[in-house]
Amino acid sequence: MLAPAHALLLAALALPALYVLWLSVTDSSYGSGGGFVGWANYAAIWDDRYFWRALRNTLIVIHIVIYAELVLATVMAVVFAGVRRRRLLISVILMPYAISEVVAVVIWKFLMDPDIGAVARPLALLGLPELHWASDPAAGLALVSVVSIWLHLPFSFLLIFAAVLGVPKELHEAASVDGAGAGARFRHVVLPAILPTVLVALVFRYIVAFRLFSEVWLLTGGGPARTTEVLAIYLYKQAFSYANFGQGAAAGWAMVVASLLFAAGYLKLLHRRSFARG
Amino acid sequence: MARLARIAVVLAALVWSAGPIAFVVLSSFKDNRAIFDFPPALLFMPTVEHYVALFQQWPDFAGTLLNSLIVTLGATALATGASLTAGYVYARHRGRTLAASAQFMIAIRLLPPIVVTLPLFPLADWLGLNDTYAILILLYAAFFVSLGTMILKATIDGIPEELDEAALIDGATPWQVLVRVIMPLAASGMIAASAFVLIYAWNDYLFAFVFTTSRAKTAPLILSEMMSSLTGVDWGVLFAAVTIQLLPVLAFVWIVQRWLVAGLTSGAVKG
Repeated sequence: MLAPAHALLLAALALPALYVLWLSVTDSSYGSGGGFVGWANYAAIWDDRYFWRALRNTLIVIHIVIYAELVLATVMAVVFAGVRRRRLLISVILMPYAISEVVAVVIWKFLMDPDIGAVARPLALLGLPELHWASDPAAGLALVSVVSIWLHLPFSFLLIFAAVLGVPKELHEAASVDGAGAGARFRHVVLPAILPTVLVALVFRYIVAFRLFSEVWLLTGGGPARTTEVLAIYLYKQAFSYANFGQGAAAGWAMVVASLLFAAGYLKLLHRRSFARG
Repeated sequence: MARLARIAVVLAALVWSAGPIAFVVLSSFKDNRAIFDFPPALLFMPTVEHYVALFQQWPDFAGTLLNSLIVTLGATALATGASLTAGYVYARHRGRTLAASAQFMIAIRLLPPIVVTLPLFPLADWLGLNDTYAILILLYAAFFVSLGTMILKATIDGIPEELDEAALIDGATPWQVLVRVIMPLAASGMIAASAFVLIYAWNDYLFAFVFTTSRAKTAPLILSEMMSSLTGVDWGVLFAAVTIQLLPVLAFVWIVQRWLVAGLTSGAVKG
């Protein structure tokens, strides 16, 4: 009875992953044929400034996205935990979870259009600089970050909200009796209690955020002049646009290793904390 | 003061989450001038002209919706079925090999989807699977079978094993136990497990973009074509198409919210 699940994973994930490992040491142009070239593909991406730019862009965007999400999710979770009859409110907060990346890009592209956007224009009236995200790489990546936060905030919120609800009421009451204000209660009661969950959310988000593709592909296509490429776009272009499967595969492994390294740092922190708490 | 701040946070969160969606749905019923009005009007004469134009200008749209529906139902059935059987095994049996295979399920899921497109694209081409429902169903199911298995294992853990044993003594086969005893009691877990894959399959862009071109093209893909149309974007038509694509899944999330939250907080975290 285990067979169907494991057959699916072997066929679609495990065997392809091994094959990618093999591809990354060949000069295959289309996934087949190709001779063994050793580390040449890894050396090639190491020397490719577009790879480093893609890596840098990825790291910038995912750090903005993840930390903005965690802060927003924590603030929302603490506030919503104090609201009564909140079921309907939570359903509204969940709505972006149902939305396709393509749809999110359509909506935000329109809302943030410098000339016609219903969000961009009020921001301009407030004196904020116009975001010419189609021509300015920094603005392009900023918009990618906004869309990404919007799509994933419900997930981070739900995880952290559940943790906040799990903080025992007695702790709150005891702290209040001792004269702790709202700020002190958050720092000394809520935050320590939800920290393990925040770390779990961080690990999850690091692993998923590294996959960032559709938002960038649909908003800027990696342009102008390859300035907004992220790792997944770089990989896709190497393989499917430049017919260089070997380098694409090497970039794929670089992506997996990078995401695991970042996630591992937080996993270690989580591990140490859970031991410290005995 | 604290109360005011709280209300402000709640309002901001609601506008941030629902505002963009409400905006696009309302705009799809505005005429071409009103769409660009600033500030956007809340009261206006609704029109369905964009919906009419949508099906005239994009005759393929209905077909892509049907493709999305077929792929989504197929992937959901496959992932849920495979998760149920695997979850049942993990819930009822212990052992070192089993524990290792469960860890493998979770670890392999860390692989980014785009990485597996490299080897699978030429392979699917060779097998004649490109631009078919089968390749999408297989991929969507594969990426959600791990989460589904963990959710269903947690659910079945809560069903007393005495029930299995009683049925087995009465001469039922393990399959009959699964279908007649376990399935009815694990319904909530099955809903949670299927909800995640259903939402993903209906909304995915990446796999549809890489593996389909025409026959199996899904709705998100044609939406992206409308958005990058060379003749300029017809926003009204695009908003109409977006509304049709998002309303069913939005309604679905509202209905299954309870199980979704339970699934996220049990299966995803503890698994």
